Amino acid sequence: MTTAGPAGARLDAQTFPYGRYRTAGRWLGRTWRSPAMRALTKAVLTIWITTTLTFGLIRLMPGSPVDIKIEELTRDGAMTYEEARGMVGALIAIDLDAPVHEQYLSFLEHLARGDLGASFLSSGTSVSSIILAVLPWTILAVGVGTFLSFIVGVLIGLVAAYRRGGWFDNLFVTGSSIVSSIQPYLLAVMIIVVFGVQLRWLPVAQMRGATTPGIAPGFTLEFIGDVLYHASLPILMFFLVHIGHWVLSMKSATLGSLEEDYVAAARARGLSDARITTAYVGRNAILPLVQQLAIAAGFIVGGSILIETLLVYPGVGYRLDRAIAQRDYPVMQGILLVITASVVVANLVADLVYSKIDPRIGRPGGASG
Amino acid sequence: MTAPVLAVDDLSVEYPTRRGPARAVREVSFTVSRGETLAIIGESGSGKTTLAVALIGLSRAAHVTSGRILYTAADGSTEDVRTMEPDELRRWRWRECAMVFQAALNSFNPVLTIWDQFLDTARAHGMRDARQVRDRARELLDLVHLDAGRVLRAYPHELSGGMRQRVCIAVALLLRPQLVIFDEPTTALDILTQRAIIDLLRDLRAKLGFATIFISHDLSLAAELADRVLTMYAGRAVERASVSDLFYRPRHPYSVGLLRAVPRVSGALGSVASIPGSPPDLVRLPHGCTYHPRCPLVIDACKREEPALIPVDTPEHDARCIRWKAVAELVGTERRAVAEKLA
Amino acid sequence: MTAAAAGIGAARALPGWVESTVDFLRLLSRRPVGLLGLAGIVFFILFALVVPVFVPVLDATDVTAVYQGPSAAHPLGTDYAGRDVLNQLVHGGREILVTAALTGFLSTLTAVALGAIAATVGGKVDAVIVAVNDVVLTIPHFPVLVVAAALLRPDGVVVLALLLAALTWSALLRQIRAQVLSLRERDYIEAARALDLGLPHIVFREILPNMRSYIVIHFILGVTAAIYLIVGLVVLGLVPLSGKNWAITIYFAVNQGALYFRDSFLSIASPIAMIVLFQLSLVFFVSALEDIFDPRLRRS
Repeated sequence: MTTAGPAGARLDAQTFPYGRYRTAGRWLGRTWRSPAMRALTKAVLTIWITTTLTFGLIRLMPGSPVDIKIEELTRDGAMTYEEARGMVGALIAIDLDAPVHEQYLSFLEHLARGDLGASFLSSGTSVSSIILAVLPWTILAVGVGTFLSFIVGVLIGLVAAYRRGGWFDNLFVTGSSIVSSIQPYLLAVMIIVVFGVQLRWLPVAQMRGATTPGIAPGFTLEFIGDVLYHASLPILMFFLVHIGHWVLSMKSATLGSLEEDYVAAARARGLSDARITTAYVGRNAILPLVQQLAIAAGFIVGGSILIETLLVYPGVGYRLDRAIAQRDYPVMQGILLVITASVVVANLVADLVYSKIDPRIGRPGGASG
Repeated sequence: MTAPVLAVDDLSVEYPTRRGPARAVREVSFTVSRGETLAIIGESGSGKTTLAVALIGLSRAAHVTSGRILYTAADGSTEDVRTMEPDELRRWRWRECAMVFQAALNSFNPVLTIWDQFLDTARAHGMRDARQVRDRARELLDLVHLDAGRVLRAYPHELSGGMRQRVCIAVALLLRPQLVIFDEPTTALDILTQRAIIDLLRDLRAKLGFATIFISHDLSLAAELADRVLTMYAGRAVERASVSDLFYRPRHPYSVGLLRAVPRVSGALGSVASIPGSPPDLVRLPHGCTYHPRCPLVIDACKREEPALIPVDTPEHDARCIRWKAVAELVGTERRAVAEKLA
Repeated sequence: MTAAAAGIGAARALPGWVESTVDFLRLLSRRPVGLLGLAGIVFFILFALVVPVFVPVLDATDVTAVYQGPSAAHPLGTDYAGRDVLNQLVHGGREILVTAALTGFLSTLTAVALGAIAATVGGKVDAVIVAVNDVVLTIPHFPVLVVAAALLRPDGVVVLALLLAALTWSALLRQIRAQVLSLRERDYIEAARALDLGLPHIVFREILPNMRSYIVIHFILGVTAAIYLIVGLVVLGLVPLSGKNWAITIYFAVNQGALYFRDSFLSIASPIAMIVLFQLSLVFFVSALEDIFDPRLRRS
């Protein structure tokens, strides 16, 4: 706002460069006040900080991975220092001779173009293609486990709330509290030790990997069955990891919404129990859980380093562990970036989803009269 | 005289607590005739709301331990609400007896539009034709002076408190019930909106002729709307009278106390007198008359035995007080506000 | 407000911590689960920190006595190198407990300091702290930790605790900040300010004592989170530590295939049981604490 009035302001903004700056400043101010833009800014900031941190660790630390790699390549005199340096630079898509800030900018530029560099180990294999190869397995195992646990957990939680104090409530809620307090990895180890090794109910050794070696990939019943066979153990683990949380959250949310006045009012209006349970109690109880599910969906991409490694299931987490063991830094960095980005994006989506399913959020409210 | 719409006989309601049952409503009896308005008044904790909720069979934590709730339908058939099958009771609610809650602000599901909630209510009672429901909803919203087109599309949080309470009233009338229970319908509203709602209620009652049970702690509102008044104290009906008898010739010291507590517009005659002390513990009620610890007219006999509801000097007027004559002497029979007489 | 202020003043006039401890134990005794948790915590502290002082380390390997079942000499049998499992358990808890406790302490300290600064200073400082906090809250902790550990190779208790604390402090900050903001408005804080008692006095004498419950609960939750992370890092082989702790036993079992060996059951299940039971004790105790301090705090 200028003192010259609307006409003056327009002239100001169009004619003089500083006017443009001021407009930009105002735009930034307005943007920061808009919750959606603020969330987006935070998301970008989070991804940027994580990548910068890993860039810093990889490139700048004394005895950094880059130096180690160069040393490895030159050790047997197979390459001169310059050759090795050039090769490492090409692998991580960084010109090592440039000043650090230029390296950093060029690194960001590559990232922005979706170029995550190439693997240290097998030159020519891009990090993106490595991630794309392992991603489907993780999405299958963790995704199915997460969504199944959500559906089953929500149903158990709802019933437990309705049967508060009964055997169903006590059994499942106590079980859920205990299971959700145990570290998932240790739970998984115990399942393998007890059901796989001691009781021999699960052929854990046979179930390793994503498919049985030698089976021909294709859209055949045999292949799909084999994929599901191998995925079943990870799915079970992820199911158990998450279910306790859904049961407990749904139970307490349902108890909360059962107490609401609008549920009593709906009963007074003679609505059927089925309608009240689904549209009045259930729908309101599940709102915050749907948002949590959207956030949980972001963690699907990252899989689980521990559980995938334990089960030798070739997903993203397992690949990250391999990359660490092999000191394949571009792959490490690329996977970490993808994991972070998906978590951040899922958080954004969660906010969006919530404003879509809850009419109270993101709409003008409070008409008077 | 035809049978009353609702005849409540010896109704008792208890809440289980860790210390034993809390007797929230004890042997309350009253009738509501066709088109009549009965006001039930008392302090908070006197059992008014528990009673109202029990009338439509909605008590959850509380148990109805005895009594009958006889409802007479428009065709003259009478049935006890307490012995209805769950599904029959469900259909009876709202079709025959609707209720407007104290917490009107939270009476609607926040994630459904007002239209959805009209439709849900109509469908629960077999009205399948959405167009017919829409016409009826529009008609009712017009009747409560709301812009039907806008309100039906709105979510509850998009309406103000007063608007929501009007919508509650409109939904209550959806199935043309014979009886509507209003539980403190104006408590959460500002004074101007309160006024508007009361005027609206009077207007609607005259147009549609439904009977009303009006539950309030606000005696001035009860005085405006009611034909007859029931005073409740500690779960008991302590006085039953016509509205003019109760306001000008009360015969129970508790009613007198409540009337003295009414703030008056003509403030010249002294300030509001609140009743000293607090309502009794419903798990361990005092011996004798439950009001005796707070009663200014208490004598030894009051502490020994709980008095019955006995007829007093004006017709169709009962009070649960052995000292009603002393009360009569105190307030007399003039048609003048009790608070002024005692000031 | 004045009533609350008077209540707090009265509480402080009582003979101090003895009174409040008795009070606390009385409340705890009505919560069997919480009592069980406290008993578990005391047991594990004694077992991991005090017992080792009196029990010599038995590290001699004996290839003829690998994976033996329970016996009088070896109540829990022997491990893959023929060492006594119980002896390994006794000496395998200290490192995890100390690292986790140190992490909980550093994480709580960071959150309290930054939260109090954000709320009392306000303005740009507040905005920056809150923004950083949001970022730390959002990033996927374990993958970031794994990569950081792989690059930094933390090999000491303190370095590891610092790394873990850097990721776990953010959970408490919002609560502390909100608490300080609301406490600032209270009468007795106003009074302290009017008396010009100075910021340190206000923060340490007036505000912090009122946030005891948050701080204690966060500390315990911080310890729990730290154990999760430490176990994860150790079983991935990313932190060597001393080579003697419960998680390393699991690492060897998984990576040397002993996991799939039927006779190895006790030597694998025992350290897992130690970690799981300690975690459960912490969680049980915290849920009772939340109940006692403020029922509204209770997590879903």
